[in-house]
Amino acid sequence: MRLLLLTLAASLALILAGPARAWAQTAPQLQVQADQDTVGVGDILHLELTADSGDAMPTDPQPGATPGFSVRGASSSTRVNIGGNRGGRFGLTVDWALQAQRVGVFTVGPPSVVVGSSRFAARAITVKVVPSGQAPHRPQQQQQVQPQQPFGFSPFDPWRGLFPGLDHGMPDEPAEPPNLTTDPKLALDAARGNFYFLHAVVDTPAAVVGQQVTFSVYEYIDMGAGVSIEVDGTDVHDPTAADFVKHSLQRDDQDAVFVGFGAVAGRTWKVNLVRRWALFPIHAGDLAIGPMSVSLVRPRSAAGSKRTTENLRIHVTEPPAAGRPPGYTVGDVGKLTLSAQVTPRQVDQGGAVGVHLELAGTGSVPAAVPLPVRPGVEWLAPEEHDQLGATGHDTFGGKRSFDYVVRLHAPGEVDLGEVALPFWDPEQRRYDVARANLGKVSVRPSAASPAGSSQAPEEMLAGLPRGRAAMEGAGPAKSHVDDSPVFWLAGVLSWPVLLGVGVAGRAGARRVATSWLARRASPATELKERLTAADTACRGADSRAADAAIARALEAASIAHAGVSVRGAVGGEVVERLERAGVATGTASGFAELMRECEAARFAPDLADVTAARERWARARRAIREMERR
Amino acid sequence: MRRKTALLLALSFGLLAAGARADDEPSALFASGAKALDEGRPNEAIAAFEALADRGVVDAAASYDRGLAYASRVHIGAEVPGDLGRAAQGFEEARDLTRDPGLAEDASRALTVVRSEVARRRTRAGQPVEVDPGRSLSRTVAGLLAEGTWAVAAAVASALLSLGLLVRRWSTDRRARITGGVTAGVAAPVLLVSVAMTLAARHDRLDVREAVVVSAAARPVDDRGVVIAGATPLPEGARVEVVESRGGSTRIRSGSSESWVLGDALRPLER
Repeated sequence: MRLLLLTLAASLALILAGPARAWAQTAPQLQVQADQDTVGVGDILHLELTADSGDAMPTDPQPGATPGFSVRGASSSTRVNIGGNRGGRFGLTVDWALQAQRVGVFTVGPPSVVVGSSRFAARAITVKVVPSGQAPHRPQQQQQVQPQQPFGFSPFDPWRGLFPGLDHGMPDEPAEPPNLTTDPKLALDAARGNFYFLHAVVDTPAAVVGQQVTFSVYEYIDMGAGVSIEVDGTDVHDPTAADFVKHSLQRDDQDAVFVGFGAVAGRTWKVNLVRRWALFPIHAGDLAIGPMSVSLVRPRSAAGSKRTTENLRIHVTEPPAAGRPPGYTVGDVGKLTLSAQVTPRQVDQGGAVGVHLELAGTGSVPAAVPLPVRPGVEWLAPEEHDQLGATGHDTFGGKRSFDYVVRLHAPGEVDLGEVALPFWDPEQRRYDVARANLGKVSVRPSAASPAGSSQAPEEMLAGLPRGRAAMEGAGPAKSHVDDSPVFWLAGVLSWPVLLGVGVAGRAGARRVATSWLARRASPATELKERLTAADTACRGADSRAADAAIARALEAASIAHAGVSVRGAVGGEVVERLERAGVATGTASGFAELMRECEAARFAPDLADVTAARERWARARRAIREMERR
Repeated sequence: MRRKTALLLALSFGLLAAGARADDEPSALFASGAKALDEGRPNEAIAAFEALADRGVVDAAASYDRGLAYASRVHIGAEVPGDLGRAAQGFEEARDLTRDPGLAEDASRALTVVRSEVARRRTRAGQPVEVDPGRSLSRTVAGLLAEGTWAVAAAVASALLSLGLLVRRWSTDRRARITGGVTAGVAAPVLLVSVAMTLAARHDRLDVREAVVVSAAARPVDDRGVVIAGATPLPEGARVEVVESRGGSTRIRSGSSESWVLGDALRPLER
């Protein structure tokens, strides 16, 4: 009986405990942090809020007040930890990108989320904004590792929700469902991995700076694998897109979306959309989108293997320069409209009016609008509100509103002017301008705020000259004499060159003459001349002249070929000199005999026979050749 | 036949009209900018003059009026950071480009007004008051005379040097030889200096790129792009020589010193 009572009490406690969780919302754990406490004007500050709740998924994250900053975008991720009988935990992480607008110390936040029906706020943070370029260097951001369950589907049960009735039990070896209709748009030529793979696509391979590129990641799950497939939730890496401003087009708490079945390599695959981002390129070039990667845990045969998406590149250019309206800022792309409200229309001098500007549309909605500044009209820093996000299946947009307080210092009918924001319309492929006319405000003169009172701002840059009303125009093309090589050759170098040539010419001529004379005095030249002379003399009738020429030829030959002069030598002296010079005894003797015969014939009292002289010349030539061959 | 002729005439007229429109566009932009400037609408004036610059129009009056538009925005109290530097850049560019002495004088005067304001602000911030460190010594000397004048001087010195040497070598008259020697002795250094200055001026004209600092907080950075601790910001509106650019940083020469700054802090001067 006692056991029965205990069992009943325990059952009652369990029954009461269940609903109690449902209506008693406990405060979620909120953590907020900024990546820097000091940023420069124009820098991006990342404000991250992490909300963790045991009751429900935190929703509707808001950054809170952002004075001194404008919200440039937000990205978020959710996680669900299934805790079995102990209940689940729901996590939301939101990262707001805030761009610093002006110098000062600002309290940002507090950021907040809604859990159940209540909104919970974290603490506000204080950030110092310094002039551009003076902020401390920001460390390189590491690749973000996503928490568990990145795709919103259970890797233990990828079929959940697809087949009613199977949600609470998935056989380990599912048979391929029969008669599935595949979508040709999801078909691929080849699988990028066994059992499971990721596939990334963009809607366009080319864009202009600031134009939305829709980036999607699909997971493909093999329907006929016959094994259970599990992704390691702690090893999921999102794609990197450092050259883009990124906005998620999926809801923060959205599960992976089933999009259909695709035929890949003859097999049927279930296809889920796991990421859809609007990416806005921030500069021109071939910009890379890095791969997303996950690791498989099951099946065991594929445990630890990586699955990655493709590396993608987007060719980004600037919109055309032709027809670009004045004031266009590169990056302002989309379809935008501008509206304005000014209240009141009558104000005292020195008073203020409120100007509410609303910029709405799709695409990269600019964070600022150009203001029609005028003398005597002071625009104070605006309060900004954003309502940006997915505006359709794959379009990012929304509206930004700017609330200005405008002080009017000059009396009279003050025309506030027109706010005009040029933008590039990628659909129409032309520039357009969003306009809002602010109209006039009647400013009543006030004795309390006369122009030139002590409260008037100090005049800066007094004494500026007047502007020009006409362009100066292009002048005649300036030619520079030193751009021409003729100037350097003829004008500068020619004089020294001419002088150098003159000096060098004289020296050269002297050297040529000297060498010519030296050449003429050489033994070989003299021998050649003597041989010619002897030849000529022997063809004549004067035997004495022929013998004299033969004797001179022999003397020249002894100098040219033996290097010794036999001129003036008598008797055996000729042979001795020639032998000392290395001439063979026989040759030297023949040489000496010929010289002696020539001398005898020259000085003989009777006229000698010219035929004998010719015979001596023939012998002399043989002797000269022998001496030459030596 | 008549139809063909009419078609040709229409085509020719269309082409002429399109050409005229293309020619008129810069003039129309300038006129709208000048009108906005005159009527005290500096933002509209800036938009028009910047659009002119984006179209590659290089004109002294456009640069001058652009500088005035930025200065006007400061003048009426609607200053945006960098306006003083951009105003100085416009005036410097106008001074370089113009052939009109009056415009050069006005640009110089406006430049003085802008730099005085920069100096005043730096004084208040406890920073060095110097706002224009000037050019390096060699560029200053080369700029003393026009490039063409240096070139002519080089040619004349070359001729005199040669003539002097010629006379000294071949003349038999002693006086003539002395005259030749003196002439050559004077002409030789003149030739060296004038050739060097001609080359320097030519290099200045063809290769040197200059820019103006358009940020009040342009601090020198190291080669990794990190701001050097304790370094004094470069004066806004200062004219500097661009040595090289790497990544997002630019190495500049300011006076006799060199440093790296982030490229966004500079706006180049058109020539």
